[in-house]
Amino acid sequence: MTNKHPLDPARFSELLFESMQRINPGVNELEFYEFCYALDILTPEGGWASVVPEEKRAIEERIGNRDFFANIDIRQKVNGRNVLEEQITRLTRELFVGLVTGFYEEEWVAKYFYFDVRGFFFLVRTVYFTDAGVKHLGGKPFKAFEQRQQDFERRFEIGYKEFSEANAEVDEQFVDVIDGLVAVRGTPILVTIAGPTAAGKTEITASLRGRFESEGKKTTSIEMDNFLLDNDYRDGQGIASLGREAYHYDIFMQSLAGILRGEAITIPRYDSSVSSHDEHDRLKPGYQPITVQPADIVFLEGNFPFQNEDVSHLIGIKVVYLTDDPIRLKRKWKRDMDLRKKYEVSYFRNRYFRTQFLRAEDCYRAQMQVCDVLVDTTGAAVWLAPDAAVQYTTWQAGKQS
Amino acid sequence: MSTVQNRIDPATFAESLFEKMKHIHPGVADLELYEFQYSLKNLRPKEGGWAAVGLEPMAVLEKMVNDSSFYRGIQIKPSLGDKLVLDPQIVQLTNMLMVGLVAGEYPEEWVRRHFYFDLRSFFFLHRTTYFTPAVQAHLGGKPLRQFEKKQERFERTSAIGYKEFMEANAEVDGAFIESVRTVLAKRGAPLLVAIAGATAAGKTEIVARLRSALAGDGHSLTSIEMDNFLTDRDHREAEGIHSLGRAALHLELFLQALKDICAGKRIQTPRYDFITGGSSHDLQGRLLPGGKPVVVEPAEVIFMEGNFPFLIEEAAPLIGVKVVYLTDDPVRMQRKWRRDIDLRKKYEPAYFCNRFFKDQFLMAGQVYIPQLLLCDLVVDTTGAALWGTSEMAGQLGLEKPA
Repeated sequence: MTNKHPLDPARFSELLFESMQRINPGVNELEFYEFCYALDILTPEGGWASVVPEEKRAIEERIGNRDFFANIDIRQKVNGRNVLEEQITRLTRELFVGLVTGFYEEEWVAKYFYFDVRGFFFLVRTVYFTDAGVKHLGGKPFKAFEQRQQDFERRFEIGYKEFSEANAEVDEQFVDVIDGLVAVRGTPILVTIAGPTAAGKTEITASLRGRFESEGKKTTSIEMDNFLLDNDYRDGQGIASLGREAYHYDIFMQSLAGILRGEAITIPRYDSSVSSHDEHDRLKPGYQPITVQPADIVFLEGNFPFQNEDVSHLIGIKVVYLTDDPIRLKRKWKRDMDLRKKYEVSYFRNRYFRTQFLRAEDCYRAQMQVCDVLVDTTGAAVWLAPDAAVQYTTWQAGKQS
Repeated sequence: MSTVQNRIDPATFAESLFEKMKHIHPGVADLELYEFQYSLKNLRPKEGGWAAVGLEPMAVLEKMVNDSSFYRGIQIKPSLGDKLVLDPQIVQLTNMLMVGLVAGEYPEEWVRRHFYFDLRSFFFLHRTTYFTPAVQAHLGGKPLRQFEKKQERFERTSAIGYKEFMEANAEVDGAFIESVRTVLAKRGAPLLVAIAGATAAGKTEIVARLRSALAGDGHSLTSIEMDNFLTDRDHREAEGIHSLGRAALHLELFLQALKDICAGKRIQTPRYDFITGGSSHDLQGRLLPGGKPVVVEPAEVIFMEGNFPFLIEEAAPLIGVKVVYLTDDPVRMQRKWRRDIDLRKKYEPAYFCNRFFKDQFLMAGQVYIPQLLLCDLVVDTTGAALWGTSEMAGQLGLEKPA
């Protein structure tokens, strides 16, 4: 231990390393020099003494305001290279300095933020469970299990196999609930599975389809993304990707009606940011649409606000499938960065930081207030709206007798 | 080049390859098929798919990957639009190996012998041979000490941090540190210890630990950075001087500095600035006005790190212990993923992949194999073995195991 000032560069790194091991146990996996490598990139030109942490209340106010997130420039560049956006950088630097100087308590930092070791930045903890959402879902989980995702706390990235193993109990319970609700509510039925990126929607849908098909039922799946308009067109028109104007909406509505009548439908195909259909809903020459055969259970996946009235009445079971942001980020490091090599690293970090708050506000919190089933994989709990709970419990009792 | 269209079923190609690749790289078994397909999609030829991949005979491939002109031809910054991409020859080699595995044209054993698969890059690289017959003969054919190969625990991982790397190497590193202690006790101070090793082999960290051990024994220590003796980059580039040879250095100053420090004198070395590419000294070895040399105080143990610390013939007799610190390419690549890409965010991944693929064969031929033929000790962290010349074995009081 030296007696140097806490903001002296060498002393600062030592003190921060100690504090960060408590904030994120994954930091313990690093040698001090490895931690310093990552820290070097964030060190301000004027040194750590040039960073003045704001009052806690000012920060809380900022991160509770959607404008802060909406104004994050996800493609910010310096000398032609993507960089970690300046507001994100500033926040992480402030938290670092506040932790080292004691201006911020570790409990306060951990309450509002989480630290991603691989990205080496702080992100805001998104609130999904509001009072209204919890009330709608009967105030407590229908069933809770051991929270096995806690095993990932020291990990930098997570592959699907281990993720699915950690969720085995809660997923099994969820599949049984859907089985019961479909039996009670009848077919053909449209089941929407909403959930943030990398929550595990696609994989749980595959499990559900497997269960129903083993019972001799026909299933199919429609990805909401296939109805998206060309990315360039949306960018050019300034269209946010969640509104109906981002989609081939008329085709979407006709498709839902058709498949619920038991008809085969032809829908657009969206691949590599390009739709098979133009903005007037006409198939482009040389593009192939997707044909979806009729089925007993039709799964609709995506980030669309299914709670909107014009769609809502067509949906038989509304599911929100949640996984906490830190875990989803680790899944995306593995899936989207390591395996798919989909994004540039700074763009990826900026985009993830920006999107979670906005999506929760625009989509998931509202859907949690109208859904039938909520799966919280991180909390290892299945929540049910009271009528769904009654239907499932009755079905289960009937099955047992 | 032959094509195997009639033996490739596009629908089942990914499934067949997935099964084969589990035998090539056990880490593939940790992926779900759909995750494997995500990576595979980036490699699939846009035109004609996998059936369009022609296969070279195995002998042709072996010749190609053992010829330095193949590596010299690898571009490290090819781009598609504004995006850096993998060099086309790297993609072609991986595609050939994948198709050859599925078609049964290349036996798995042959692929494993000549190539390794890096899971995170999702491509094949040629296995570099460091222990050539001549190197083995120089080192008496057998290691001085052999330990359990604990780096095998990394065979399923994609990236390795230093803590786990250090834990895996604990025994061989401990034996190495003890060896240096023994040599120092026998030969006496000052002792110049030169450590050569490829990128991410673990040189810097082992030197730090060696320093800590010797300082704990009460010895005074110092370091000489060989890079500080580099001449101006502009001069070297204008003259076409390779940065790994004697011509790249202020050679006279370098040799004099070694002689003086070994005689227990305080020395001043040039200072090289990697950012500006400039030396503190002119080409005649004179300190430039305003130039700040590096002052090195005399010490009992002097460490010299660099890519080629004992390739300079005249310097070799001054060096007390000449060490090559080796870690196999697949493990170094995984270390670099964690250290240089994840933590330092130093390179764009495609650039990193191209550069790593290109450099290992060339550096082995130019730098590491020549030094393995001159060294006293080799620390092979992957093989968990300490190798030495018979002279070194004698000094250490070790006999070659039967």
